[in-house]
Amino acid sequence: MKNKLTDIFANSVVRMIVALAIVGTVSGAALVLVYNYSMPKIKVNMKADTERAIKDIFPQTDKIQNTKEEGVFKAVDSSGKLLGYAFLAEGNGYQGTIKMIAGVDGSITTMNGMEVLESQETPGLGAEIADDKFRKQFNGLSLSHEIEYVKNEKPQQPYEIEAITGATISSRSVVHILNKRIGEIRKALKG
Amino acid sequence: MIKDLIRGLWRENPIFVQVLGMCPTLAVTTKALFGFSMGIATLFVVVSSSVVISIIRKLVPEQVRIPMFTVIIATFVTAADYFLKANFFSISKALGPYVPLIVVNCIILGRAEAFASKNSVGRSFLDALGMGLGFTCALIVLGSIRELFGFGTIFGFQILGDGFEKWIIMILPAGAFITLGILVGVFNIIDKKMRARERVQG
Amino acid sequence: MEFEKLILILIGASITNNFVLTYFLGICPFIGVSSKIDSAIGLGIATTFVMTLAATVTWLIYYYILVPFNLVFLQYVTFIIVIASLVQFVEMFIRKTSPPLYKALGIFLPLITTNCAILGLTLFMVLRDYNFLESIIFGLGAGVGFTLALVIMAGIREELKFADVPEPLKGAGITLIIAGLLALAFMGFGGIISSG
Repeated sequence: MKNKLTDIFANSVVRMIVALAIVGTVSGAALVLVYNYSMPKIKVNMKADTERAIKDIFPQTDKIQNTKEEGVFKAVDSSGKLLGYAFLAEGNGYQGTIKMIAGVDGSITTMNGMEVLESQETPGLGAEIADDKFRKQFNGLSLSHEIEYVKNEKPQQPYEIEAITGATISSRSVVHILNKRIGEIRKALKG
Repeated sequence: MIKDLIRGLWRENPIFVQVLGMCPTLAVTTKALFGFSMGIATLFVVVSSSVVISIIRKLVPEQVRIPMFTVIIATFVTAADYFLKANFFSISKALGPYVPLIVVNCIILGRAEAFASKNSVGRSFLDALGMGLGFTCALIVLGSIRELFGFGTIFGFQILGDGFEKWIIMILPAGAFITLGILVGVFNIIDKKMRARERVQG
Repeated sequence: MEFEKLILILIGASITNNFVLTYFLGICPFIGVSSKIDSAIGLGIATTFVMTLAATVTWLIYYYILVPFNLVFLQYVTFIIVIASLVQFVEMFIRKTSPPLYKALGIFLPLITTNCAILGLTLFMVLRDYNFLESIIFGLGAGVGFTLALVIMAGIREELKFADVPEPLKGAGITLIIAGLLALAFMGFGGIISSG
């Protein structure tokens, strides 16, 4: 197949470097195109994801407004009444970051709900923090006290939730992340 | 020609026979849909990189062949990853880091090295298509079985009734290994019978 | 607190969320190579070394080159090139400095480039926002975990020679099923952390 000329070239270092440089350049250029095509769409998707979560927590939401605080949004219904604040919260889980969106009422005394946007918890165990059974415990949870978790028993206090069996670390992480973030938001919105 | 296509589907099925490309196979097949999506993404990468490599096969210096193939593959994988993120956001979230891991899926580099770098564009295309389809089918089978017993559904449709107690183990890593192990065994039995029949006829 | 997190990462990557048995990374050598304890240990050590190094180098490249210059979309291409060159470099270095070590590990090194565990490690590292020190520990832990799974598997397969395995399951089939049982056993270690 190969003639003599290509054989000579095949062994030269120059040819190797040129070939690698060409492949590298073409690949880089192609990826710039792909990046430019998809990045705007990805941003829209991420925003839509957040909005969907907020509407899930506050079903009457008509408009979502930014606040002066980064990652905190006001959920407002069609008559302009404040339904509550929705906020992004993230921190370390059992493995990797847990990213959530959660809602509190306007006076920050009860929680309206929580949704997990991203997590790398163990499938079937820790990943259940994203399931309704665990999540729904945060609907209407009292914020008169720091959120606490109990293991293998029904919660006694209005500020308690039950941890997932076999995934205490994941459950505890969620509680820690929320407590910390709610504290920050209280300070920011009051101050 | 047609042999190039069929080979990957059965006799040299990348998963059941060659046992290659295991990490996505086991990791994403908790549900049939995820298996299907991963299969299609891999199909895209294996076909496009095989075609490109086959086109440039005579220009590639022998010594830097592998790095060049890897860069080409990584480029297509990045494209596939961004495409999924842009158009199928929730699927891309579920597949997570296993889409970029297509780069090191041995099937793709294997096809590039063993076939595309030595054969014409047409044959390389068919070979890659067969391998990709074989891979996708295997992922769908594995995903369907795990989803059926783990959630009681297939592709999200309820199959088993409400009284069905979910087998959590099927969604856990252990279930993935055991299911695939048994499937490989079943595949061997069927294949052996088929070969025996061919021998009788031949 | 910082120290506690490092320990958690180390134990997580090596035992409770073992790379091979929970994330399915590095399965190819796990199924292909691991039938002798000696070679399993050799491959494990070589991989651990490359993993720790890969985590270090890719972290620096990602946070000091790719992020500041807005080139994150080149992440996969860059990482795989870095890993491939690193393996080459380690191979040359060992061959020059320690021929006996090269004789022991040399044949395993080319296998490492296509080991998904290494690329997987670097991707997880970015995804989980690990800082520099955490990344190194993560690389080390992942390598130890890989070695552990590989050696245990090799030990079982050495015994398997004397077992009466059904014909169709011989080879890959039985290996996968054993891996499944191992994964179940390793799940038990989850209690180390979560009982805290």
